Amino acid sequence: MRRDVAIGILHSASGPYTALAMVARAGILRGVAEVNADPSRDLSFTVHDRDPEGRLDRYAPLCRDLLQEKGLRHIFGCITSSSRKEVIPELERHDGVLWYSAPYEGFEASAQVAYMHSCPNQHLLPLLDWAMPRFGRRVCLVGSNYIWGWEIAQIARERILACGGQILSDRYLPIGDTALDHIIAEMRALRPDFIVNSLIGQSSYTFLARLAELRTEPGAETAAANGSAPALPVLSCNFTEGEIADAGPAAEGLIAAGPHFETGADGLGSIGEMSRLAVLELADLLQGKPGAEDLPMVELLAQAARQGHRSRLDGENQHARQPVVVAELRDGRFQEILRLPERAADPYWTRREAPVPARPVLRVVP
Amino acid sequence: MTRMRTESLGGARALVLHRPHPATQPLLRQLHVIGLEAREAWPELPAEAVTADFVFYDADMAHDGQFPWAPGASPMPMIALIGSEAPGRLRWAMTMGAHAQLLKPVSGSGVYAALLVARSNFDRTIEASARITDLERRLSARQTIVQAVMIFVLRGKSQSEAYELLRHTATAWRVTIEEAAERLVASHSSESPADDSKRVDQS
Repeated sequence: MRRDVAIGILHSASGPYTALAMVARAGILRGVAEVNADPSRDLSFTVHDRDPEGRLDRYAPLCRDLLQEKGLRHIFGCITSSSRKEVIPELERHDGVLWYSAPYEGFEASAQVAYMHSCPNQHLLPLLDWAMPRFGRRVCLVGSNYIWGWEIAQIARERILACGGQILSDRYLPIGDTALDHIIAEMRALRPDFIVNSLIGQSSYTFLARLAELRTEPGAETAAANGSAPALPVLSCNFTEGEIADAGPAAEGLIAAGPHFETGADGLGSIGEMSRLAVLELADLLQGKPGAEDLPMVELLAQAARQGHRSRLDGENQHARQPVVVAELRDGRFQEILRLPERAADPYWTRREAPVPARPVLRVVP
Repeated sequence: MTRMRTESLGGARALVLHRPHPATQPLLRQLHVIGLEAREAWPELPAEAVTADFVFYDADMAHDGQFPWAPGASPMPMIALIGSEAPGRLRWAMTMGAHAQLLKPVSGSGVYAALLVARSNFDRTIEASARITDLERRLSARQTIVQAVMIFVLRGKSQSEAYELLRHTATAWRVTIEEAAERLVASHSSESPADDSKRVDQS
């Protein structure tokens, strides 16, 4: 006899980050379909969908509505950190759980959130550690002018300086802005060993296109011919599969880090895949435990641990263990170039000296 | 002056001076999640509290006697856990030297910010009091400088010549001008006023 568990979706079908939100939503629905079709499960999920339309002030009321009116506990949603911050007070009031599956900048560990994507010690830091010996340590930082751009730059700066590197420039562009002349002029003059690009959306696509032009200038060819490294390599922790088409061929050679890359043609991309895995994770935690869906997240994880279920979520900081994958965009697809074993999240970056325990490499098989 | 960099909160030790209570459990959880070693203490702070990196204290029920240091003289950043907003309790919490505050019941959010704010305020306070001590010392040395200048003036120098001489003396001795003045005055008063002039001038 299967029991029915209601879950909520809180993703924006319109607004500036719709592409990411819809990929996340598709991943959630795929996960739900898998759970509901799996005869070995003792539960089925029913979905209640809410659309905040990309408007920040809609998140809290819709979250409250799901928690209060629908009486459910588990909500899958939010792309931006600001929307996540909006719903946390509502989740605290009703002891709800947000399953959050976008990459983020860290420095948060709410008991009401299950962090299912990567934070900087799982994406940015290993990416920098991989890039510095290959390309060099003279680095330019470019980002969109909001918390993601600022914090990624701050962490990159600390890491690069600690490794004896140099930050040649540190620039921010308003979200959506494509006035890049001064930044491109700076890249032409400075010729960094690599660029950390935390621009989002159109700013990022335009930047990549302008850089592609810059690479064809005579000076760049010389630089590339001198060593094995490509001219002006670009690193990103927020560029995802869903953006390859928008960015076009100019994005070729971009190097990204994350927990998962879609190497095939029509996958969900990392945000979709992490969303799908989030649904499966909840189903695993609830399996064989009627009523467990009403437990606070901390309790749910503690109970699962007592029963020997090894969740990907850490029982303390509620961030998922993640493999570290570095991939390069070649011929319009991500090609994996490095895979490191799963590592625990360190959201406040306080365990940096602790060695990463060796674990077997696990492949995520969709 | 910064005692620790942002990233090195890991392994820092925090003591929470509060009776065991559900209202402070999220604080302990969050400190642990952030990477600190956190321990509750009640009703007394243990002796090793002086080596803790942070102390959280109950602004509602705690009192002076529980701390092994004088009010306002904590050797580490202190964070007040405020429940009652009655002016008397708040005044006491401030007198103890709150470098930051958290409202009870404590939730996970705000703990990291309180740690960083408290440490920054603490560092600034230490820096400011070091500056004040230095300025006070220099202020009280002004009288000594006047006395030292007068020693030279009594020997026929003009006031500005006397001051220049004092400066050169300090440079030659590789000490501050205040310290040179102190030595000159000390040696002057220990000698008979009749025959000390040559020795001072020669130096």
